[in-house]
Amino acid sequence: MGKQIDLLQGTLDMLILKAVSLSPLHGYGVLLRIQQISGEQLQIQQGSLYPALYRLEHQGLIASEWGESDNKRKAKFYRLTAAGRRQLHSETEKWNRMTSLIASILRTTPEEV
Amino acid sequence: MKLFAKLRSWLKWIVKRGRLETAMEAELRFHVESIAENLVRSGVPPQEAMRRARLEFGGIESHKDAIRASLGLRLRDELSMDLRYGVRRLAKSPSFTAIALLSLALGIGGNTAIFTLINQVMLRNLPVRNPEQLVAFGDSEFGGIAGGIDLGAFGGYFPWDFTRSMQEYPGPFQGIAAYCSFSNKVSIRPPAAGGTTDASSSAVLAPANLVSGNYFSVLGAQPLLGRTILPSDDATPGSGAVTVLSYHFWQQSLSSDPNILGKSVTINGTPFIVVGVMPQGFLGIKQELEPTELWTPISMQTVVLQQPSMLTAHSGLYFLHLFGRLSARAASNHAERARSQNWLNQQVRNGIREREGGALSADRQLEINLVNVPLVTAAHGISLIRSQYGESLKILMIVVGLVLLISCANLANFLLARAATRNREIATRLALGSSRARIVRQSLIETLLLSMTGGVMGLGIAFAATRVLIGVVSQGNSFIAMDPAPDATVTLFTLGLSLLTGILFGLAPALAAARTGAVSNLSAGTRTAQSSGGKSARFWPKTLVTAQVMLSLLLLVGSGLFLRTLRNLQNQDYGFERSHLLLAEFNAKLAGYKTSQTTGLHQLLIERLSALPGVRFVALSATPPISAGTWSSSVTIPGYTPAPKENRHSVLNRVSGRYFETAGISIVAGRSFSDTDSANSQKVAIINQTLASHFFPNGDAVGRSIIIDIDSVKGPWQIVGVARDTKSGNPRDVERVGMTYIPLAQIDPYVPADSAADAAGGANTVVHQENQDRFASMILLRTTGDPAHTIADLRAAVRSVDPNLPLVRITTIQDQMSNFMTHDKLISSLTSLFSVLALLLAAIGLYGVMSCNVVRRTNEIGIRIALGAQTLAVLWMILSESLLLLAVGVGLGIPLTLLAMRYIKDLLFGLSGLDPMTFTVALVVVSTMTLFAAWLPAHRASRVDPMAALRCD
Repeated sequence: MGKQIDLLQGTLDMLILKAVSLSPLHGYGVLLRIQQISGEQLQIQQGSLYPALYRLEHQGLIASEWGESDNKRKAKFYRLTAAGRRQLHSETEKWNRMTSLIASILRTTPEEV
Repeated sequence: MKLFAKLRSWLKWIVKRGRLETAMEAELRFHVESIAENLVRSGVPPQEAMRRARLEFGGIESHKDAIRASLGLRLRDELSMDLRYGVRRLAKSPSFTAIALLSLALGIGGNTAIFTLINQVMLRNLPVRNPEQLVAFGDSEFGGIAGGIDLGAFGGYFPWDFTRSMQEYPGPFQGIAAYCSFSNKVSIRPPAAGGTTDASSSAVLAPANLVSGNYFSVLGAQPLLGRTILPSDDATPGSGAVTVLSYHFWQQSLSSDPNILGKSVTINGTPFIVVGVMPQGFLGIKQELEPTELWTPISMQTVVLQQPSMLTAHSGLYFLHLFGRLSARAASNHAERARSQNWLNQQVRNGIREREGGALSADRQLEINLVNVPLVTAAHGISLIRSQYGESLKILMIVVGLVLLISCANLANFLLARAATRNREIATRLALGSSRARIVRQSLIETLLLSMTGGVMGLGIAFAATRVLIGVVSQGNSFIAMDPAPDATVTLFTLGLSLLTGILFGLAPALAAARTGAVSNLSAGTRTAQSSGGKSARFWPKTLVTAQVMLSLLLLVGSGLFLRTLRNLQNQDYGFERSHLLLAEFNAKLAGYKTSQTTGLHQLLIERLSALPGVRFVALSATPPISAGTWSSSVTIPGYTPAPKENRHSVLNRVSGRYFETAGISIVAGRSFSDTDSANSQKVAIINQTLASHFFPNGDAVGRSIIIDIDSVKGPWQIVGVARDTKSGNPRDVERVGMTYIPLAQIDPYVPADSAADAAGGANTVVHQENQDRFASMILLRTTGDPAHTIADLRAAVRSVDPNLPLVRITTIQDQMSNFMTHDKLISSLTSLFSVLALLLAAIGLYGVMSCNVVRRTNEIGIRIALGAQTLAVLWMILSESLLLLAVGVGLGIPLTLLAMRYIKDLLFGLSGLDPMTFTVALVVVSTMTLFAAWLPAHRASRVDPMAALRCD
């Protein structure tokens, strides 16, 4: 567990949007999905997951409905809305621009200056 | 989009709260159980799995709280909790709540009532387009007809021909319009059912105003029905018999007849076509106490004013006011406005030069070049009420503001005391993890709850109080342009004031509550902990009480000064008898009498009225012994050479035989008028002491003659007597005014042909012009008993003379005089009322703080007594503390009061703002109040049983 890293501030919303964009998920499923994709390296604070889910729903980026889970129990599933899809798209683009920029800065060698 | 989604979501959360909370619970529970199931799958025993899952996930409740916070629901939840808690706490101490609400309602209600009047009298804009562009030319508050003055002098009077040229060439103004400086009562017969005027329908009297053809367009006022008066109506003198009605008149006298347009009403016997009705809020640019009910073109002046034509070039009669609409730039730009001002002054100066004609002396040239007719902003209209009551209203606003401050101080003290008793509760809350901000918020919500409820109650009180105030201001007029109902501005004011009040008296206790230390208060014994609060804990209550003493002193001195001013006004020497005198105003001209018939009418009236039981003397006159409007002129004494610019002004009155006996004015030299002074005998006059000593310093007035510079009553009159000086106008005037009395019977029925031709400008010469100055308009009755008891007899007697003779107004001389002092009475009675209220509040405050102190110090006092302190020493200990507060309050209050009284010295009469007697009385009253309020707690302290005091912790 020592190699796990904490989530960067403000990225949780984006990750949740991405996770539910692949298929509708319940809250626990979102947690598992993110950990699974990250290869168990990302640690999500348990306390911040649900407030984030409710906030995204409140903003109309995701929608929820009650359905049946794999173990045949009633669970609340979240899916991406059209507005959420647009948001995810723009966030992804912003993120990519940002990381490539920062990466290029960090790659800079003394000769290039 | 996002906002819409959020709104929908909030709505959902508020409406379906219960269901959503359950769902939230289920969702979180599912999460924990899923973790547990996973653990079970990896081989952990079910019970252990559940325990570990719970540990991993954390408390469900704290997750829920985090969710609610992320949705912004927590704040709402907490506020509603605080509100409910506040209501419960207030309900638990009903006596405190009742006192707090009552003092708040009185304080806020008083402020709202005065503000309602201020709003209506001073703040409200005219209901016209861009009112901020309107300016009056000179001071237009008073009205009348003046002669022999300069253009625009003494209150912006202008003659007709000058206003015509200004209307045509408005220069840098968007427009310039004129109106008659006063609205006079006309007799109106409404149209009969058939649409024709019906002579049998009863006439009503209503004030009408003459206006220029462009009056409404320059004012920017739109009619409710029909059209306004147009320049074409006012084009030719004598034509244009049209009228525009006020909403009130249309409603009251014509029962809102929707087909009124095109019908004709009879004004003073001449039919006028109704062309329009104005909307409800429109009262004209000049708002008189009794609002104008109809407007007619200036061209109809002879009919409406019932006076010979003033619409001639060089009539020399100044009776119109002017106002203009500035260009949009000039309304906002100082330099541009100054240019408009210069242009106006240029026009006026040219006008004066043209009028005087010929070569002017250098001195006069210089004088003319200094003439300045200021542009007076008229966005709120022009109102005499505003200038008369404005100052009083401002002072009253300050007074009620101070009263509210005092009651705020009281409430703050009460709440501080309550906060002290809540120390344990607050300490517990803090220890359990409540934030200090939350405690401050809860405390503030409680006070806001109080102040808002008080504010709503205050609105009700204000409505009732404003009705009474308007009744006082209206002086008995049935319809005046003021309304007690609060409008949006007033409601906002009250709301803001309540909010401010709540914060003002709630902040200190709230902060005090939040400062409470968590540990010390829980551990230490409660009472010792409270009393150990020491100096800092007692600082605020004491400061507040000191402030209350200070403000009470200020209010007491103020009300004392106003009360003494009123007494001085009432008790001064008026020069006539101020009791047993009944005054009745009548109008023979409106009843259709010709000037040749007045002698007979006057004689008949005097005969009938003299025969009434309980009547000692009867007289007729033009004006009563004291009145606001006067008839006046300059006078000339043959054989007396006046110095240049010498004041030869005299107030005039025309009176019947026994006027001096009736009014109770003594004759100091010569004789009074008698029945032998008739139309056929020598013309005689009586002058007052001031005039006599001015022109005849050697005391030889009797036997000399006097000429009045008004053609219709020119004279010469032989002086047969000198009467005592009287106050004939404003009781505050201390300047002595000359007066000349002439007998009604000796005024010619017609103006001599030559002077009438002069006045009419030559073209339409009338040989015999009726002399309007022959009419009397006042009946004076000196009675043996209460004059009010004679009113019915008076009416009956006048009716027996002529049933059509209208008695306009009947008053006793006391009522007539008190009309002059309405605003002195208003301000003195209201300031006294409020200062007594303030004193009472301050006493309650002082008592509260002192008894609270005694309760806190019970322990200490018990120990002192147990150690041998004497009862008197304990009594003195507590009393001296109050006396110190008194001393500090008075020490700060006296300089403050001295400073404040400088601002009201113009409103005082017969005493200075530093009147030592008033100050002494106020000091004695405040000191007595302090001692009285402190005595009870002090007495209680001296009775403390040492054993009980020490045991009770």
